[in-house]
Amino acid sequence: MTATVTGTFEYRGIQLRSDPAREPCFRVVHQHYEVYMPTPEAPTDPTGQETLHSMFNSEVLSLEIAAQNLADFPDAPWELRLHFARQCWDEVRHGRMCLERLVARGGRKGGFPIINHEWNVVCAFPSLPARLAVLNRTFEAGSLEAFASLRTFFTHLGDDRTLEVIETILADEVEHTRFGNHWLQRLVKGNPRDALRIAEAMAFVKRAATMLATQPGELVIDGTDMAAMAQHDIPVLPQQRADAGFTEAEIAELMRRDPAPSATRREG
Amino acid sequence: MSLSVKDRGQAVATHRYILVNLMETLARWVPTTPEMEAKLLFGSHVWDLAQHADALGKRTHELRLPLQHSLAPAPEYVRLLDEVAGIEDTRKRIAAFYDVVVPALDARYRGYLAATDPLMDAPTVRILDRILADDARMIRESQELRSSLPELQDGEDGWASALTRREAGLRNLVAVANAEAAQQAS
Repeated sequence: MTATVTGTFEYRGIQLRSDPAREPCFRVVHQHYEVYMPTPEAPTDPTGQETLHSMFNSEVLSLEIAAQNLADFPDAPWELRLHFARQCWDEVRHGRMCLERLVARGGRKGGFPIINHEWNVVCAFPSLPARLAVLNRTFEAGSLEAFASLRTFFTHLGDDRTLEVIETILADEVEHTRFGNHWLQRLVKGNPRDALRIAEAMAFVKRAATMLATQPGELVIDGTDMAAMAQHDIPVLPQQRADAGFTEAEIAELMRRDPAPSATRREG
Repeated sequence: MSLSVKDRGQAVATHRYILVNLMETLARWVPTTPEMEAKLLFGSHVWDLAQHADALGKRTHELRLPLQHSLAPAPEYVRLLDEVAGIEDTRKRIAAFYDVVVPALDARYRGYLAATDPLMDAPTVRILDRILADDARMIRESQELRSSLPELQDGEDGWASALTRREAGLRNLVAVANAEAAQQAS
């Protein structure tokens, strides 16, 4: 299952899919330092608006990728296409929930710059297994852990309604990761060459993550080079990974690579 | 005489093709529509159309055709679907889909319901009843969107009316039935 990828651009030596359509109220950027609002002393926007705006755009990107998968792979198994269609609806609901919370907290659509790297990277792959591996099994799976820090942040703000939204989204993301895992196994079993495409895609993602990250000297706030600051590692949450269809061996491998001490883990 | 099993299978498989096609059209429009509210409207209805196609695809198997079987409709209708899929202006996309294509399909479903035996073909009747209810919600949601964002209203240039007339001019969407009728007439 391969698609012809049209509409690409080159950025820092890597070929990416051109941005999805956005209204003029959005300022679309391609470099992380352009979306960086906070300061070293307050690494997160204290109002929660920037976080919700970023969550909103992220959900819309997931919608757009799921929809593009339906358009690009008409010969994919019907059961898998049904999952993508359902994911479209889920991501619409998530986007609306985030937008509602953004507005409730005094923000507005287009109030912050947006970056579309998820779409730019995932939709650059002509292979469906590669897209599943990167979107569902990597990005959505990673969001399972990222939600833990969002939960802490909005608990601190005393925003119970946003906490409900996060729990709702998290439940759906587990399902999206699970169907990604399930279908990757089925597709690779049916066509072992897909394993090679997945390996190539993961190598591309690694390279893209390095090239798209803020480079040394690009962002200096109050004399601090933000790119040189220690990276914040999000601890792997084994139970959530198991719920999302990761095998015991895969979770063990993730834990082996995870530098976060077990004391920082808090399962959702 | 009501529809035969063969007639029902062909009609159901043809409508499945149309719904999969429309699902793909909405899916293509999602990333290419700039207006966020329209993008979200299309995105949520992708799932409605997928469920409708799935229900009809299960029914094809019960009507002695393969599971999830599709039959391409009459070529003129395929051309019309392609033209709708190629629309780029968001206002026209909404008008074509929710003011022309979906209401016209609903009229055809009602025509099928009037022609089929409600007891012998009860499973198809149930499916179409549910599709009609969902379509009414989808149309209502598109109207609510346009009421709240009048800039998404299509201008009164007669374009949608012309498309409606063209669609109505196609008598039977089932291509195989048309071919059989032509063969019998010759």
